[in-house]
Amino acid sequence: MGYFEGFAVTLAKWGEGVTTREYRGGRKNRKGEISNKDQKAPKPERAHGRHVLNRYEDGMEKCIGCELCAGVCPAQCIYVRGKDNPDDDPKSPGERYGYVYEINYLRCIHCDLCVEACPTEAITESKLFEFSFTNRSDAIYTKDELLVDDAGMPQKLPWEDWRPGEDLQTSGWMRATSPSGKASYLGTGWSGELGYGVRFGDLPQDEKDASTAPDPGAEDHDDHDGGHH
Amino acid sequence: MTATENPESESPEVEPGVPFTLNGTELRADEGELLIAAAERHGVHIPHFCYHPRMSSVGMCRMCLVEVDGGRGASLQPACMLPVTPNMVVNTESEPTTKAQDGVLELLLINHPLDCPVCDKGGECPLQDNAYAFGPGESRFVEEKRHFEKPIPISDLVYLDRERCILCDRCTRFADEVAGDPLIHFIDRGAQTQVNTFPEHEFSSYFSGNTVQICPVGALTAQPYRFAARPWDLSENESTSMIDSTGARVALHSSQNRLVRIQGVDSDATNWGWLSDKERFAYEATDSSQRVTEPMVRADGGELETTRWNNAIKRTVEALAGASDPRKIGVIGGARLTLESQYAWSKLLKGLGAVDNIDAQLGDGLPADVVMGLPRATIDQACAGAGVVVLLGPDLKEELPTLYLRLRHAVQFDGVSLIEMSPRQTAFGDSVAARLNPRPGAAGQIAAALADGMVGTSMGGIPSRELTAAHALLTSGRPVTVVVGRGNLAESPDVLVSAIASLQRLVPDAKFLTALRRGNVHGALEMGLTPGYLPGGQELSATIDGWDMAPQSTGLDTEGMLRAAVNGSLETLVLLGADPLRDFPDAELAAAAFERIGTLVSVDTFMTSSTQRADVVLSAAMFGEVDGTFMNLEGRLSPVRAKVTAPGQARPDWMIAAEIAQAAGGDLGFTQLGQLQSDIAASVPGFESVDWETAGVVSDGPVVTAARPWRLTLAETAPIPPADDYGLRLVVDRKLWDNGTMTSSSASLRGLVGDAVLTLSPTDLERIGATSGAEVKLSTSSGASRTVVAEADARIPAGVAHLPFALNGLQAQELIRAGEPVIDVRVQP
Repeated sequence: MGYFEGFAVTLAKWGEGVTTREYRGGRKNRKGEISNKDQKAPKPERAHGRHVLNRYEDGMEKCIGCELCAGVCPAQCIYVRGKDNPDDDPKSPGERYGYVYEINYLRCIHCDLCVEACPTEAITESKLFEFSFTNRSDAIYTKDELLVDDAGMPQKLPWEDWRPGEDLQTSGWMRATSPSGKASYLGTGWSGELGYGVRFGDLPQDEKDASTAPDPGAEDHDDHDGGHH
Repeated sequence: MTATENPESESPEVEPGVPFTLNGTELRADEGELLIAAAERHGVHIPHFCYHPRMSSVGMCRMCLVEVDGGRGASLQPACMLPVTPNMVVNTESEPTTKAQDGVLELLLINHPLDCPVCDKGGECPLQDNAYAFGPGESRFVEEKRHFEKPIPISDLVYLDRERCILCDRCTRFADEVAGDPLIHFIDRGAQTQVNTFPEHEFSSYFSGNTVQICPVGALTAQPYRFAARPWDLSENESTSMIDSTGARVALHSSQNRLVRIQGVDSDATNWGWLSDKERFAYEATDSSQRVTEPMVRADGGELETTRWNNAIKRTVEALAGASDPRKIGVIGGARLTLESQYAWSKLLKGLGAVDNIDAQLGDGLPADVVMGLPRATIDQACAGAGVVVLLGPDLKEELPTLYLRLRHAVQFDGVSLIEMSPRQTAFGDSVAARLNPRPGAAGQIAAALADGMVGTSMGGIPSRELTAAHALLTSGRPVTVVVGRGNLAESPDVLVSAIASLQRLVPDAKFLTALRRGNVHGALEMGLTPGYLPGGQELSATIDGWDMAPQSTGLDTEGMLRAAVNGSLETLVLLGADPLRDFPDAELAAAAFERIGTLVSVDTFMTSSTQRADVVLSAAMFGEVDGTFMNLEGRLSPVRAKVTAPGQARPDWMIAAEIAQAAGGDLGFTQLGQLQSDIAASVPGFESVDWETAGVVSDGPVVTAARPWRLTLAETAPIPPADDYGLRLVVDRKLWDNGTMTSSSASLRGLVGDAVLTLSPTDLERIGATSGAEVKLSTSSGASRTVVAEADARIPAGVAHLPFALNGLQAQELIRAGEPVIDVRVQP
């Protein structure tokens, strides 16, 4: 008879009003439309969401299959295999490319250590977390899903709720360690990427406090040769 | 280098060694020990790149600079070039030392590309490690780095990236000093210095993989491992190579349950860390599409079909139990198996089935009583300075390459004198002390002449001065080791036996290394997979607990079994990882036998040409997938360890034997490896006190020496027909890269197999009137006639035609007739 006690709690609380705020992101009405009232709540600047694999401005993949992300991942959700770049159709600059790249989102804890480990800024995280799956194979994103499309935009999968403008939040915003390894370094610098050109990263915290954040996707397109660092 | 080289002092009064002070601590070094080695032994690591304990020091990289006061004030000196002298004061942590380390690393990193994320060495790179531990952390170098073309293949197996090279001289020293294939060298000068191969000569050394392992950066990388995994997703297990009978210690590396790499492990007793490329890269075969992963039986339609183990075992039991007499069952092979599996099969067949037609050798080895009865040397004994080694066998570089490296080092650096009694000149080249290349069939007479001191005149084409030199060495009182093996598959082993007998008469204390090629063949003979013996060399009349049905009479060897099959008197043939159709030296006999055999059962890992003919195929797990023990040519035991799981339904050979026993209503008495090892310890003389867990792990494995209950008697002369004047005698031997199962199943090695070329001495080729490189007609007295390309080779003695076994093109086994003492051929343009 134990379950009646549970119902008793429910009934006792009936009508007390909602104490938690409902997040309506991705909710559709019965006609399959997203209602006007359905707005995503604003996310913190450093929220971590679904990953993307970036490309250089010439379309080359940034991933070189070095497996540093897989090595650092505390949830062991990343599986990478490298391969020799085919001479006639190189996928990335240099000798090696990421031949297999898989992230298991049933395991990923969005800690962003992969982003920090990546020596080529190939993997970054968007802020999208409005995605859910009905089977395991959907939850394992392969290169086909993670790689940005030919325009440099993240691929929008059927079970993901992308809103206009959200793809701008895919990269160029945070890196805890400095590229030079100097402890005194402040701020971030990023190489050019497909769809966005060269974007500004975070300003150093003291400067950020003093000014407003720059417009992402801005000017300053220098022709990046696509070489890795 | 292990602590065994540092004998702890027994008596405290007279402490041996050289006193010196290391970082304020009073220590002792061995006489002549290098400072870097002495410090390492006492737990102080001095960073280095070029120093390698198994090679001579060159002081190239300057990383090991330390502050040394030898009595005339402190100065920076390279620890790898400096033997410890009495009362030397060394400081590896002083400010001048760390400043020197900083400076050297900054210099080395100036031109190093820092493409660590794509470099196969990244994560296990001495340059990375030392830069982190001892480096400055910052580079002041902002200029353009030196650029070369990114990796260039310098052989089919090795890539060279000159940008990454720090010019440590390790690969070049290895190629020159250790392998004796100086095919890679420094070119250009100063800042333009680079390592490269000679133009149009690729780095086609049998030992090229070692340079990849010892390269302190990612300048040399291995093609089979290229981008296969990163060091942090590898897991490792130490094991013993089963590719040949040297028993090199190896580390198996796997990622995602796939073998991706094999590295050499430094074992004092065997391989010193070196491996041949076959031992290093043949792991690829585990992934081969030719693997047998499921048991199969031949269906009514004549096709092999996958089946369940129950059914396959049932069919096997029917084939074995259905034979009218145990003497109508034959078993060939077993050298691929671990010692434990060999014992299990031996017990199944001999102990429960009374079958004695068992032979682990395929007519290309030596008589079992010779292998087991000769007093055995260890490799260390053979290589000890002031010794004399008689090479009465094959070119070791082709057949047992790691043993060759040990012997080569002994000859080059340790004063060992080598007497070459191979049928042709071997890779030892001009470093031999006496060169006797007896013509096929003549080795016995030559050895007899040495024993009798009849060396005053030249004999069989061998000049008197070589005979005299050999005789002088053998009678000099220096310890003599005879390395004996089949240098010629077209010659009866009786010739070798006769030569051994004469050498034993001349040097009664001589010890022997039986240079048999197949992996665990010594273990197979020891475990009784040979006619006439129970395990441990016990005679058939011996009683062993649990062996209830011992054979009554001595059975047949492989040749005998194949002949019996041709006569129709062999009903069932079991192949234990053997491929007689390809490996038995007489192709005609093997083919005829396979036509007539009743039921053929093959326990194999690969779909070989023989297995394709089988009625029942039992899928076995192979090296890298099984635990067990290996016995090398010294009789040394070392562990074989599984690293990956066997594919499909494949399982270890000993389990298959145990299941067959059970299905037949018997019981082998073990269901676990530990029980099996206890059974061996209880049943086989010499194995009583083997510690199976630690053998070969904590130290070099124990050498099992069991006293035989019988005494070996050798016949001295074998009748050899006289050579006719216009014919040539055939020498057939093995190359490292041949169409054997492991090589042909490894994707990277398959292409290294060459075409069979007949080589003759230049005078013979001229006499025949053929030109080098042109096709000739080759015919034997038994009527076989083939065409083949012939080339002149000064390393072939006069009167000899040399043809390698199992290469592409002409198959030498088609020319050999089993039972013929020698094969004479005629060569016509």
